[in-house]
Amino acid sequence: MSWQGFVEGLRSFVVWVMDVTSVPIIVYFVLINSSLLLLIGLAYLEFRTQQRRRATAITWQGAGMAPGVSLLVPAYNEEAGIVTAVKSFLTLRYPRHEVVVIDDGSTDETFARLEEAFDLIQVPRELPREIPIRAKVLGVFVPRDGRANLVVVRKENSGKTEALNLGINAASEPLVAMLDGDSILEPDGLLHVTRPFADDPTRMVATGGAIRPVNGSRVVSGRIVRVEMPQTWLPRIQLVEYLRAFLLGRTGWSRLGGLILISGAFGLFRRDVVVEVGGLEPGTIGEDFELVMRIHKRMRDQGRDYRVEFVPEPVSWTEVPVTAKVLRNQRRRWHRGLWEVLWAYRGMLFRPKYGRIGWLALPYYWLFELIAPLLELFGILIVPLALLLGVVNVPFAILFLLLAYGYAVMVTLSAMVVDEWAFHKHDRWRAIWQTIAASVLENIGYRQATVWWRLEGWWASIRGRKHVWGVMTRTGFDEDTA
Amino acid sequence: MIVGGALLLGVTLAVLGGCLLLVLAVVAVRARRRSRQQRDQMLLSPLRGPLITVASGEDDDGSATEQLTWATGVTRTVLDRNIVELLTKIRGGPADQLVRVLEVHGAVEAATGDLRHRSSVRRARAAQLLGLARADHTVPQLVEALRDESVEVRNSAAYALGLIGDPSAAGPVLAAIGMPDRGLPAATAAEALQSMGVGISEVLREGMRDDNARTRVVAAHLSGERSFTRGLPELRHLLDHDADLTVRETAATAIGRLGRDEDAVVLARHTATDEPLSLRRACVQALGELGDGAAVPVLAALLDDPDPRLAELSASALLALGPVGRDALSGHEDEPAVRTARLVASLQKASA
Repeated sequence: MSWQGFVEGLRSFVVWVMDVTSVPIIVYFVLINSSLLLLIGLAYLEFRTQQRRRATAITWQGAGMAPGVSLLVPAYNEEAGIVTAVKSFLTLRYPRHEVVVIDDGSTDETFARLEEAFDLIQVPRELPREIPIRAKVLGVFVPRDGRANLVVVRKENSGKTEALNLGINAASEPLVAMLDGDSILEPDGLLHVTRPFADDPTRMVATGGAIRPVNGSRVVSGRIVRVEMPQTWLPRIQLVEYLRAFLLGRTGWSRLGGLILISGAFGLFRRDVVVEVGGLEPGTIGEDFELVMRIHKRMRDQGRDYRVEFVPEPVSWTEVPVTAKVLRNQRRRWHRGLWEVLWAYRGMLFRPKYGRIGWLALPYYWLFELIAPLLELFGILIVPLALLLGVVNVPFAILFLLLAYGYAVMVTLSAMVVDEWAFHKHDRWRAIWQTIAASVLENIGYRQATVWWRLEGWWASIRGRKHVWGVMTRTGFDEDTA
Repeated sequence: MIVGGALLLGVTLAVLGGCLLLVLAVVAVRARRRSRQQRDQMLLSPLRGPLITVASGEDDDGSATEQLTWATGVTRTVLDRNIVELLTKIRGGPADQLVRVLEVHGAVEAATGDLRHRSSVRRARAAQLLGLARADHTVPQLVEALRDESVEVRNSAAYALGLIGDPSAAGPVLAAIGMPDRGLPAATAAEALQSMGVGISEVLREGMRDDNARTRVVAAHLSGERSFTRGLPELRHLLDHDADLTVRETAATAIGRLGRDEDAVVLARHTATDEPLSLRRACVQALGELGDGAAVPVLAALLDDPDPRLAELSASALLALGPVGRDALSGHEDEPAVRTARLVASLQKASA
């Protein structure tokens, strides 16, 4: 076959592909953008409510009805920041809370640092086995002063999920908060996220708080003293993603009564409900997502009146990846987790008893979260090819790209307006310009790379490859810029 | 094709225009907030001195208070807002002087009218101001505001009624919790009721018989917190028969706080293995708090419970019971629950 013939054949193929897919893709495009518009609208309504609440806020110090909280901190080789983190958790403004650190078989000085800082002493305590644990518990420790509400449990290494399950067993308070060892909580963060439980003690089963990237901010003794923008573009773009996900996505879904995802970096649950559903599923990648889905399923299967709510106030700050390698691993993991959980709970789709979860939230996540990267990759491949072969009208293609990416920028800017209006965490004008620039730059390279990484994660799961946890390099927060 | 192209161009331009508007909106929101802050600071700066003098209780001759009453126009509005904020933090004489300033400014009278304002924020702020000014003549209007369509207004009304502390409002506050679609958040109701003195025990007894589980939780919780022993029959009934586990646990805790000797039997009944584990634990803790010797055999029997936490809680409760409880631990010294309870108790004692 001559080169000419090959090009002609390819051209005919591309034309055929575009003919076949154009209508479904336009329908998909309209649907995804309309659903985003709807979420923006819902988030706007929710924020109006929140703004009214804030404008008329009454200081609540959690007196009386505030339920006790056990903060579960799984730690694996966290020697750099564990002491600072625990100290900051212990000094949160809340009337009744304990910190349960689960040292997941660290090979560094994690335990030694804790032992020294808090003068730990071993107690012969046996932990309940309400959630079955495979790993051997090596010891339970409490501070010698008998006052600090701290419990440290040492176990053989068996992963974060089991560490959290052990923490749930060790917890003595009615609510459990699952945190990352490097999380920084707002001093009033616990008061914000427990408030829905105090207001509706019989129905509330889980709440999630907004998470923000801490990179670039000044952190002293586990507290943020000045919020700053990250110093490089990769975390800046992730900041934009976090704004969008928490201020539009989760807020909108919460308003709609269809919140199915509470971030593992900060989620608060009724302990008895988590125990009732069997704790976190060992070996699951999206264990936070899976837990919330299992709770929804259980509650709805039993016809119980319950609530899962999102608290838009920034509650927790976390370090986001600063290198493409770590980010790739994170995104592969996230998408793999998304696929595995959605597949595991496919039976809830379009079943009347699962209400908005089955009819709205799950179909949305299937169509617009799981499949989106596949379609985007198709566009990334076919559009340049079609342009190269001259089978599309160039101005038309440029306009379409402008529309698609312009819309993405518009969604991000909507989240920015909400953030500026409600929280205004960043003082400097420069932060605004950098965020706007990040929302545009996100579409040039970053978005395409994450599409590929997400598909890698999905593919690895379908092929049954064993997941390997990457190492998140922490810079630590002590007394300096994170 | 031409129509399609024109449509695409139009939509693209609209989206890009939308982006531009949103950028302007971000800038405008920030600029407006900053200019307001600067204006407020500028207007308030001549009055900051007298305001601090009054708030710190140093205005013996009343001259600073007098000076504050002279404010007019926007300055008065900004000053009143600051006074309201200060009233959430100070009590006694200085608070009375600041309330007088609000009265002279007509803010209290205006707030009474604002309870019917179209804006829910204005209604809520008005209710808060009336509470902070301890305007007890407005209790009927505030009770009415408990049924407001806006939860912020209901919250603020309950808060105000709590500050005023009139026990006649306890019934409406408790009833507002279970109002269909317009319920008062339980935490707000509980805080308001906390401040209403001892005259609310009958209302709480009534609340424990309410159909709404949240109302029963609040009533049971407060009965325990305030040690209203008259509510004991209702608390026992809730523990024995309520359909909601949270209500039962709350009742158990309350009985532990205010129960009588005979309540040891009631609590002990619910430590049986066929009860939910969280309720069994709550009952064991309550038995420890109750401090009655009748609980000893039950607690001693639980030292061998398969749930290690329940066993440890039982051991801790026995230790708290004094010699009679400690005697019951003999024969169990080697058990981890007992050793842990002893060690933790000794650490706490040493640090006390």
